[in-house]
Amino acid sequence: MERIVNDFQLNIATANGTGSQSANLILLHTMFGMGVPVSGKNLFPSNISGLPTWYILRVSDRGYQAPGDRTHIQIVMNKATWEDDVADCLPGTLILFNEDVKMPVDRDDCFVIGVPMTKMARGLNPKLGRMISNMIYVGLLAEILELNQDKLNDAIALQFKGKARAIELNVEAVNLGRAFINENVDTAEIPYRIESRDVDDDEFLVEGNEAVALGSHYGGVGLLCWYPITPSSSLAEALIAYIPEIRTDENGDHLCAVIQAEDELAAAGMVVGGGWSGIRAMTATSGPGISLMSEFIGLAYFAEIPSVIWDINRTGPSTGLPTRTQQGDLTMLYEASHGDTTHPVLIPGSMEECFEYGWKAFDIAERLQSLVFGFSDLDLGMNRWACKGFEYPETPMDRGKVLRTQAELDAIENYGRYRDVDGDGIPYRTLPGSGLDPILYRGTGHDEDGIYSEKPEVYQALMMRLKRKMDNARTWLPQPVLREEAEKEVGIIYYGSMENSIQEIDDILEEEIGRKVSQCRVRSLPLSPVVEQFIRDHETVIVLEINRDGQLYGILRRELPNELIPKVHSAAYSDGLPPRARHYSELIKGVLKEVGE
Amino acid sequence: MSIKLNIIDLPKDDYTGGKSTLCPGCGHDQISTVIINSAWENGLKPEKIAKMSGIGCSSKTPAYFLGKSHGFNTVHGRMPAVTTGAAMGNRDLTFIAVSGDGDSASIGIGQFIHAVRRNLDMVYVLENNGVYGLTKGQYSATAVKGSKKKKGAVNKHQPIDLCKLAVNLGCTFVARSFSGSKKQLTALMKAAMSHRGFALIDVISPCVTFNNNDESLRSYTYVKDNDVELHAYDYIPTYSPIEGVEVPEGEYHDITLFDGSTLRLETIGSDHDPTDAVAAMAALHNAEMEDKHVTGLLYFDPDTSTAIEDQCLVSTPLADVPDEVMRPSAASLEVLNTRFRGKD
Repeated sequence: MERIVNDFQLNIATANGTGSQSANLILLHTMFGMGVPVSGKNLFPSNISGLPTWYILRVSDRGYQAPGDRTHIQIVMNKATWEDDVADCLPGTLILFNEDVKMPVDRDDCFVIGVPMTKMARGLNPKLGRMISNMIYVGLLAEILELNQDKLNDAIALQFKGKARAIELNVEAVNLGRAFINENVDTAEIPYRIESRDVDDDEFLVEGNEAVALGSHYGGVGLLCWYPITPSSSLAEALIAYIPEIRTDENGDHLCAVIQAEDELAAAGMVVGGGWSGIRAMTATSGPGISLMSEFIGLAYFAEIPSVIWDINRTGPSTGLPTRTQQGDLTMLYEASHGDTTHPVLIPGSMEECFEYGWKAFDIAERLQSLVFGFSDLDLGMNRWACKGFEYPETPMDRGKVLRTQAELDAIENYGRYRDVDGDGIPYRTLPGSGLDPILYRGTGHDEDGIYSEKPEVYQALMMRLKRKMDNARTWLPQPVLREEAEKEVGIIYYGSMENSIQEIDDILEEEIGRKVSQCRVRSLPLSPVVEQFIRDHETVIVLEINRDGQLYGILRRELPNELIPKVHSAAYSDGLPPRARHYSELIKGVLKEVGE
Repeated sequence: MSIKLNIIDLPKDDYTGGKSTLCPGCGHDQISTVIINSAWENGLKPEKIAKMSGIGCSSKTPAYFLGKSHGFNTVHGRMPAVTTGAAMGNRDLTFIAVSGDGDSASIGIGQFIHAVRRNLDMVYVLENNGVYGLTKGQYSATAVKGSKKKKGAVNKHQPIDLCKLAVNLGCTFVARSFSGSKKQLTALMKAAMSHRGFALIDVISPCVTFNNNDESLRSYTYVKDNDVELHAYDYIPTYSPIEGVEVPEGEYHDITLFDGSTLRLETIGSDHDPTDAVAAMAALHNAEMEDKHVTGLLYFDPDTSTAIEDQCLVSTPLADVPDEVMRPSAASLEVLNTRFRGKD
């Protein structure tokens, strides 16, 4: 049988809370340790224990990271989803199932192997049978796929850091799995194999939320206020976990305060209070939290208080699908709160950018004296992705226009808290406690000195200055990443976690319809002029998004010159799962057919 | 004529603010005057005070006092959150906050409760009149059951007593006063400013415009006639008093505050122990049963740690810590990168 090496997908169906996550991460880290491009997606329920969970491992020498068109190896462990898990397998799938669940697998068209996983596990440890049975399938796969045992041991050691007994037990379970295959299965009949590749010694796996948390620390965050919400909680928890190691002084006293707030509204208020006092304050939340925070987001915009909010997008609206992913909050972030508002949105597409925007968000917020959003999602935030390492900020902190001494204040002619002295729309500020220009900050209309005003010309001038401030930022916020083809026929605009599907989409278009498409990955709002130029330079432009309505497409339609709008098209799709290349390549083909390209 | 200076050599003018735009005769203006006097007499540095408020008539008043202090007139009911964040940023500031009954008993009751729960170090002045003034006279959640408005409806709901709530929550300083009782209120205000922790002063402050018919239980005339003083006391700073402090007569009871100053309670016809939460609740309950307001220091706990102390922060305000200290070193990131790579 012809071998299929490093190009297949595993789907592991288990129940939440059974310990399968450890087993799945061990598989992921083993393959990664062998230098094989691999990605793991945890599709988990909003539940503590018992509901179904699937873990999708995509192995691809071409570096594809999103779930592919089909599953090649299905592990069936969960009685609750058994029938669907078996029925969904396409012909030819290798099915490994737990015989002890006593459920049927009638698939003559598949390669089916039943294994008494629970019995084998109980033989090792009667009490932990259910948990260890997950490691049995790791052993089965290790033998079939020819996983390197040293790398597997490393992955087990990483997962159970320092717990000698757990490591020993799990290694034994893997050995039992390997022995079972040796004794009962002719693996020559199974095509799937993992082969080692060159290992990049610098690369490691990390979750986006942890990368943002670390980046925030290297931005000097002084206050984290948060309210637990999936999928952002692990960002806050990672940030808290690093404080003792990297954010204490010689006495062990902390340089970062943490408050678990009573709700998201309070968390946002604390961020504004922190920003007002002169520290770098942040919160992390998801869509429902942003809805609550909107009141304070408007205050931060209007009173010009540096603030940072990270939105780890989950599937909305309302409570939605709390454990699934989406890019459904983009429009809300950009314009959050009542009245005319605009907020910078930073959109990382890699682990390196999650870290970078973690610290950079504070620089931008303080430079603009405004609230800045970081925009990630569940897929980027809670799955493990390859990272080449975190780079130390190349510049000192940009604290913006803060006047700290009387001499600095005196040097400015006609100072006023909200006066545009430099003509860039950004005023100077003083801090509470300094005694310099004490004013009463307010969310009400105010003049250039911060005094309450309802005068029409004062209000209008203020609003236009705020707009100018944001418009000026278009050229220095993180700029788009372009990959342009010589043809300049079709241009694709996308952002965020779509980065992990774009290569596969690109390859499908080239292989199936012979189109070479240019790409423009947007990394911030308000949009850079580079995006407009990209659109000018291409005949047809298609905006890819993980949402229903085409939110970035909507922003483009509003902000682009009228003559450019007809050539911009939307390819938006969202079903809660990470973006699969096939959905988008089909939508793109549809658009190209429609415009007769 | 020489200008009178306080302990830090500042004239009272350094503590005043802009001209009030509230209705003439509003009790809130009397409270502003008390805040000015108390801050001046306590010798607080104006630049080290932060004035905080939410939205409402009461929350406008920070414009009318302490003009040399930074302030933040935030959003409705959410002042405690902003104060919490600011306190984390600058632990050296004295936070003097003004709120109303709409702010604190309705839209912001959750934030009020949680600021109390964390024992945030702040003075929380509740200017309590039982009505929404700026929106023209709707009942608030502190309006007494049976209150009747000038034109119309009787309030049918139980009031929320924020002092009772605060005592229940373990608030470390709970007092009630009346905006017309300048002497008592000043003593309480000065004590609150010296208190380490959350100090609530619920000040009954009648609305002259919307809630001052005689049938209203928060009207000026009603309160004047039915105000039961729990204690008469005076506030004695450790440094020499600026103005003549009236020496209390008869028996007294001293409470040592965090800054070493002493709060002296004169017991007149009451043996209320302000460290006894049950006694505080009983006093509040009994007064309510008799349709009266009990005023004075109801509860006091000097020992509970504050929100800032619970954080184990460096002693320098975080806002003053140099950037190079706030940002961890490049070497520390190398350690982390190495660990991620499994090479440590």
